[in-house]
Amino acid sequence: MITRQAFRKLLSRDDDLKACEAEYLRRYRRWKCIIVILIVLLGLVTIVSLSMGFAEIPISHIVRILVNEVPILGNLPSGSGLSESERIIITQIRLPRIFAGILVGVSLAASGAVFQGIFRNPMADPYVLGVSSGAALGAALAIVLKVGFTFFGIDTIPIMAFIGAVAATLTVYNIARVGSRTPVVTLLLSGIAVSIFLSAIVSMLQVVAGWELHELVFWLMGGFSYAKWKDVWAILPLVCIGITLVYLFARDLNVMALGEEEAQHLGVDIEKSKKILIVLGSLLTASAVSISGLIGFVGLIVPHLTRILVGPDHRILLPSSLLTGAIFLVSCDALARVVFAPSELPVGIITALSGGPFFIYLLRKKKGSYSL
Amino acid sequence: MVSLEIDGVSCRYESIEVLDSLSFSAKEGEFIGVLGPNGSGKTTLLRTISRTLKPHRGVVLLDSRDIYQMAHRDVAKQVAVVPQDSVVAFDFTVLDVVLMGRNPHLNRFQFESSDDLLIAKESMELTETWHLADRPIAEVSGGERQRIVIARALAQKPKVLLLDEPTLHLDINSQIEVLDLLKRLCKESKLVIAVFHDFNLAARYCDKIILLHNKKIVSLGEPEKVLTKENISHAFRVEAFVKHHPITGSLYVVPLLRSMSRKMRKEDFRIHIICGGGSGTSLMTKLVREGWNVTAGVLNILDTDHEVAQTLGIPTATEAPFSPITKEAYEENLRLIQQSGAVIVAELLIGHGNLKNLKAVQAALEKSIPTIVINNIPIESRDFTNGEAERLFKQLLAKRAIIVKTEEEGIRVLELLRNQRFS
Repeated sequence: MITRQAFRKLLSRDDDLKACEAEYLRRYRRWKCIIVILIVLLGLVTIVSLSMGFAEIPISHIVRILVNEVPILGNLPSGSGLSESERIIITQIRLPRIFAGILVGVSLAASGAVFQGIFRNPMADPYVLGVSSGAALGAALAIVLKVGFTFFGIDTIPIMAFIGAVAATLTVYNIARVGSRTPVVTLLLSGIAVSIFLSAIVSMLQVVAGWELHELVFWLMGGFSYAKWKDVWAILPLVCIGITLVYLFARDLNVMALGEEEAQHLGVDIEKSKKILIVLGSLLTASAVSISGLIGFVGLIVPHLTRILVGPDHRILLPSSLLTGAIFLVSCDALARVVFAPSELPVGIITALSGGPFFIYLLRKKKGSYSL
Repeated sequence: MVSLEIDGVSCRYESIEVLDSLSFSAKEGEFIGVLGPNGSGKTTLLRTISRTLKPHRGVVLLDSRDIYQMAHRDVAKQVAVVPQDSVVAFDFTVLDVVLMGRNPHLNRFQFESSDDLLIAKESMELTETWHLADRPIAEVSGGERQRIVIARALAQKPKVLLLDEPTLHLDINSQIEVLDLLKRLCKESKLVIAVFHDFNLAARYCDKIILLHNKKIVSLGEPEKVLTKENISHAFRVEAFVKHHPITGSLYVVPLLRSMSRKMRKEDFRIHIICGGGSGTSLMTKLVREGWNVTAGVLNILDTDHEVAQTLGIPTATEAPFSPITKEAYEENLRLIQQSGAVIVAELLIGHGNLKNLKAVQAALEKSIPTIVINNIPIESRDFTNGEAERLFKQLLAKRAIIVKTEEEGIRVLELLRNQRFS
């Protein structure tokens, strides 16, 4: 026999449950909306970006060329009346370049979000950990020493960049390790130290470079001018695997915001998760650096900006910041192509020029919340 | 059913030993307080039990399983920790933070379900933080954050709850609220282990107390057994008095003063205080605090001054409650006076019952024991003997008694007398 009071309590309990559920469903729905909007935005940016460049190709042609490229639709009559040169410009020059931009934007933004999450520090990014410097040194060595080998058809530079990134990460990680633990502060400090050291070697290489100086400097400035389909295919699997695995650690990253010890109290095996996430972050950074050279600011500002827009929960922060990273980088690359056309700016200059002031604006606007 | 066993645990940071072979066991339904001075290893003990700091010797067994052999996640399902200070990076909302308590119960592919939400909500209602749910965690006050962190710990649905000074940032009302809640949880078959700084809260709420000092357990057991004068003085180097509170019935501890080194003490010079009715309370406390050797008399049992003297451990000549001073008590008082280097007379009220105290002062003067009389309130207003006391008092003043206006002045005179004696 349920007393009236108990019954009322049961009822109110039920109401609470419903309210909670509704609130939560709303939240997941909002997350889905954000993702859909960003994907649409990325599609638009991609198409607009395809139309930009020295050869003027109208958007209607672009859409038809793209549709034509899809195997099943390829035989439809829509393909007729398009010039072969336009088709080649789009599919062999602009499209691989944009795909490279997307992949690099995705990788840098994702690794930035991961590093900021692990270190509970909005200042962290692939540069701070020395990952980018390691990749730069690897590539610089390849350019200057002209190490001539290929690996599954991939050029020397990406391979060496990748080796450099991973070696730098391992070095930093081992320097920072105290016993079986790697405290964040020592990790950041040793990252900065290693990064400065490696940058100095790269500068030294520039001095002794001789004829290769131009290529080296251009590569270091970062850009997609030489991006080809084979570069895209080379890093695509790495990026896909990287972001999928990172996403599985999204809730761990949330809990890490409480601090390492508390994360452990909430069941996160912090040392293991941290190690895996650092390796994944380096993998993503190395993939990006290996095809595009050094592009600054994306890893730092994109996750930051996205956090302000969608909140700090990594389950939405990760996917939306990697989409934002792709949108940002593809747009910057389009600008880089047209601002001083026909000559081209390295995209790194555009990201820094547009990202810097915007970042300062955000910092001033929200400076209260960055007390560390 | 949950049981926790700490067996021969020693811990170090780098090479510095912070816990040395600790052993105890605890089971569900117990509320255990950990007390000890700074650096005695309280927090380290909690870190060891929470599977954070692996002991280099000994084991921590949860339901007879070594927790350092268990996965973090499995430990987190049973043991929740409320740390001293909790800083959350990024702008998570309060509800987000409490929901993180569900983390050990979710696998990598799961999102929080409505059940998890309900658990979070219930936990927040228990700590009265539900109204804060949508606020950013960075914007709540220290006390609110403390209760939110407790809610997060409760959302873990743990069997063991470890808290490092749970009442640190809380006002007195929330302190009691939180501790009542913990007490209630204990009854719902949880084990609570909390570090305390406040003896009285610990004594009031804990079933058992662990007193740590110098890396070791000094004493372990019920509050009555652990919180003794001797243990407190040993662990904290303060003198304290321990009593049962008349209202709550639990122990209460008032630290009196730091134990003084022998050099500082002035035990070589004994002072006898003539007081009563509360007139000597502050004087006795001051003198004892400064390390003088003090006696007092004649005091009636139940008199405020008598109670204070008892608490301070001052030897007194006593008389039965509400009774006039008898010959025996008077003589006892004289005996104490004769052993003193000086007598000091507080501004006591004088009636027929305690007139003999003034006679004792007279005797002291006759034996040329230096006598200080505090005389600020005129004797006329303190005399309830139709002038007899006034007459006696005036005689005293005539007989080379040293007259001062305040207690401080009196103490300064005592210093002079002592210096004179020993130079």
